[in-house]
Amino acid sequence: MTMITSKVCIVGDFAVGKTSVVERFVNNQFSEKYLTTIGVKVDTKEIDLPHSGVQLKLILWDVAGSDQFGETEFAYLRGASGHIFVADGTRPATLGTVQKLGVRIDERYGRKPSVLLINKHDLSDAWDVTEQIIEELKTDFDALFLTSAKTGADVENALTRLAELIIDQTLADQQ
Amino acid sequence: MSLPPSVIEYLQSDFVNESRPFCFLVDSDFRLVDSWGDGDWSGLASADVGANMLDHAPFLLGALGSDPQKLSFISTGDGAVVHLITMPHQDGHYAIVLDAGQEHDFRQEKQQSANELRLLHGSQRKLIARQRDLIAELVEAKAELDHHRRDIERSSANKSRFIAMMSHEFRTPLASIINYADLALEPGSGPADIQKSIEAISRSGRHLTSLVDAVLDEARLDAGQIQLRERDFDLFELLDDLAAMMAPLAAEKGLSFATLVDPDVPHKVRADDVCLRQILINLLGNAVKFTQEGSIRLYLTYNDGRLVATVSDTGPGISVADQERVFRAFERGTDRDGSLRGAGLGLTITLQLAKLMRGEISLDSLPGQGCTVSVHVPMAIAEGGAVDDALSPPEEATYATQSKTVLVCDDDEDMLALLEHYLHRAGYALIAASSGTEAVEKAVNYKPDIVLMDVNVPGMSGIDAALALRDQKYAGPIVALTASKLSDDEKNSFTRCFRKPAQMQQLLLEIKDLTHNPES
Repeated sequence: MTMITSKVCIVGDFAVGKTSVVERFVNNQFSEKYLTTIGVKVDTKEIDLPHSGVQLKLILWDVAGSDQFGETEFAYLRGASGHIFVADGTRPATLGTVQKLGVRIDERYGRKPSVLLINKHDLSDAWDVTEQIIEELKTDFDALFLTSAKTGADVENALTRLAELIIDQTLADQQ
Repeated sequence: MSLPPSVIEYLQSDFVNESRPFCFLVDSDFRLVDSWGDGDWSGLASADVGANMLDHAPFLLGALGSDPQKLSFISTGDGAVVHLITMPHQDGHYAIVLDAGQEHDFRQEKQQSANELRLLHGSQRKLIARQRDLIAELVEAKAELDHHRRDIERSSANKSRFIAMMSHEFRTPLASIINYADLALEPGSGPADIQKSIEAISRSGRHLTSLVDAVLDEARLDAGQIQLRERDFDLFELLDDLAAMMAPLAAEKGLSFATLVDPDVPHKVRADDVCLRQILINLLGNAVKFTQEGSIRLYLTYNDGRLVATVSDTGPGISVADQERVFRAFERGTDRDGSLRGAGLGLTITLQLAKLMRGEISLDSLPGQGCTVSVHVPMAIAEGGAVDDALSPPEEATYATQSKTVLVCDDDEDMLALLEHYLHRAGYALIAASSGTEAVEKAVNYKPDIVLMDVNVPGMSGIDAALALRDQKYAGPIVALTASKLSDDEKNSFTRCFRKPAQMQQLLLEIKDLTHNPES
């Protein structure tokens, strides 16, 4: 199998569960304790994509939560092949943040494969997100998942989907 | 200013001690070319020359540009936090990593507090919003309760108005009955006066009966459950009745009363005459009641299968604001000093009856300029000449042609005497009983051809008496004649059921049918 290495950045507002999503994906673990990220945390995870005949090594850049990016944050995103946007279903404002960041990142680095994770689906009773908003968001990203880093629901599916999108894009670029 | 070597050495020493820089050079394939410094703390120093540095420092991917750049606070997988400075050099890059652990921890502590505070504020805002929603729900619930309370209060007020309505609706025919009865009892009254009075009393009595039905059926009228009972009748006889009823009442107040009928109005029509009668009595009664001087006019036209009956008066009129309200149930108009202007149900019933007849009502009035109310109802011309006559006396067709005995059970002496009169005249032998027990005993002993049974009689009820008669193997017909409304189960106890006051002609025809044609 061909090995491809890609950089993926995880962005979104603070405390939406970006680090928890990565922790669930990389180590299949979850901690209830909230620990804010300063700067960026870098992790790696290899995914086999048998249909493409590719093993993808993802270098995951878990960028500190922010509702707006400055030069420091944009510098972290340089060279990324795809983006994971994370929002918190219990905080509707964080959906606005990912929409806004998505536009700005596209402006800066061009359109890249992206998935949106509306996280904390284990707290769906406390969600404040309408079906209409979800349908609108689907048009802004390549794929949308309702995830729970706590239970693991749809986390792996989301990142695998992004990996497939990156591979498709990479192969298309090579041709 | 140039710094002395000792100062420079101190600064360099301090920077190296604090930041523990580790420098390395990679080629364009991220292969380690060379390194400098103590990199053990970073986990990067273990790489050998030629090693792929992406395996040791994956954060290099995407971080090596054509210009020098710095990326702050990169947490590596080994637990270290570094600042990364990269500089292009020939085909490769220099990379400098500085220990940022202490600074990271300090910043994280501050940011953690700030973020937790923001989360707390967010939760507080949510709670406040929820509290606001709950308060809004409470306010809404209270408004709903207030609405229900007002409904209850209105319902209570309606009960009071209902009493007033009873007075309004019933007083007109009652007045006619009393006045004509007084007239008949006057010493100077001749046979013609007495005959005229009795006819008027009879008409008003029948109208009172229909009013009682209307009041009792008001709920059904609201629910649209009242059905039209159309029949052929003489419209001009109905107008004569109305004139006979209303003219004396108008005259008592010094008002002139006139009925004007367009030549196109047919005599024989098919419609619900009870409905039409009540509509016109209500409108004329209102006109007489509220008009203090001047005239009352009833004007009828007929065009394209529709009868238009217009009642106009020279009364105080109705303000535009009140015109809609006066048609609502138990609502009434008010004049400027708030005095009573209507009982509250007359016009509602009138409107509902007009709608029932697939018609409509229009009102044209201004304060001080009288009032004109027009009723438009579809009305067919009766086919043939036969017209039902509710007031016709018993005909010979009702008379018994065979010797038959009727047992009549009623505790009201007047009713018993009345039935005895009609039954004797029709040729029947009569057995009278004033209680259910007496009726059962006499029926068993004398075996009458038919039993005519009141329901509410002393002791054994008429229903129990009918069941007892069946137990005693009495095989003849048992007919209920009662003022009570019977349930379907109760009706099953009888062969036929008649409601008081019954049409005597119909009752006699039924008795004849049941006694002369038992198979029927």
